Amino acid sequence: MKKPEMRQQLIQLGNGAHALATQMLGNGDDAADAVHDAFVKVFRKPEAYDENKGPLTPWFLRVVRNQCLDLIRRRRPVEDTVDELSDSAPGPEASLEIIQRDQELKNAMTELASEQREIIVLRDYMDLSYAEIADVLEIAQGTVMSRLHRARMALKEELIGHD
Amino acid sequence: MINEKPIADQHVGEQLSGFIDGELTQQERQFVTLHCEVCAECRENLERLRALRERIGNASLSEVGEDKWRETMDDPTVQLTRGIGWLLFVAGLLVIAGIGLVGFLFSDDIPVGIKLLMLAIYGGLATLLFSVLRQRLIERKTDKYKDVEI
Repeated sequence: MKKPEMRQQLIQLGNGAHALATQMLGNGDDAADAVHDAFVKVFRKPEAYDENKGPLTPWFLRVVRNQCLDLIRRRRPVEDTVDELSDSAPGPEASLEIIQRDQELKNAMTELASEQREIIVLRDYMDLSYAEIADVLEIAQGTVMSRLHRARMALKEELIGHD
Repeated sequence: MINEKPIADQHVGEQLSGFIDGELTQQERQFVTLHCEVCAECRENLERLRALRERIGNASLSEVGEDKWRETMDDPTVQLTRGIGWLLFVAGLLVIAGIGLVGFLFSDDIPVGIKLLMLAIYGGLATLLFSVLRQRLIERKTDKYKDVEI
């Protein structure tokens, strides 16, 4: 893949990658750093991506995920720091109702386990196929459906609890 | 083994997720469709999951815009061009210095002592350069990311 083409695709992937990293790391600033570092790594060694082995999206998300896991390992031990997930500032154009609904959703997601949050982001926010999700999370494809379903049911229950 | 329960009693769990994601086989899809026609509980679950999926898809889970990523992306490019600039600058400087050094060493007008002094300075610089390069090589070899599939 040519570098400008890769660059354009990665720019479009930025927000999804940031959403994934935010769910893993618990705050938007660390997530932005993780995505930035992933960009730097990819551009330092773009030949590491082999087009024949699959699409760019799951490959790049795996880089971002590895970056997040590394940051988590280096962090001081904390329980599951997702409190700040709900603190990100909304864009000025968003209406109050949408902001409240999104906030409610983010609050509910903080109650889920990290692996549940990430699989929900990958499928429902980024629209990855089960095969791609399996690739990103490095799990068997057969596990994706059951894990995703459990995550969705848990989120559904949380949202009902918030109502 | 064939399940002999009535279809209304064969509740579907994770297949509901597979159904809304379009990840089931045709046979599985048909089964979920038939079951949901006769099972209010699973039908309700299906609708709720569908609504949830749509809600997440429309949510703003990241408020960072594309411009921010474009700027971020420029960072490595800037680093690369800066690296090339430095490389060209240092290479040119070394060539000029080399020519000057040869002229200096083979000049009959300069005393041997001065020549030795200058050699020591240049030798010291070369040693420092070698040391930095060696350190860089070691860092690259021990880089914990080198085996990470990126």
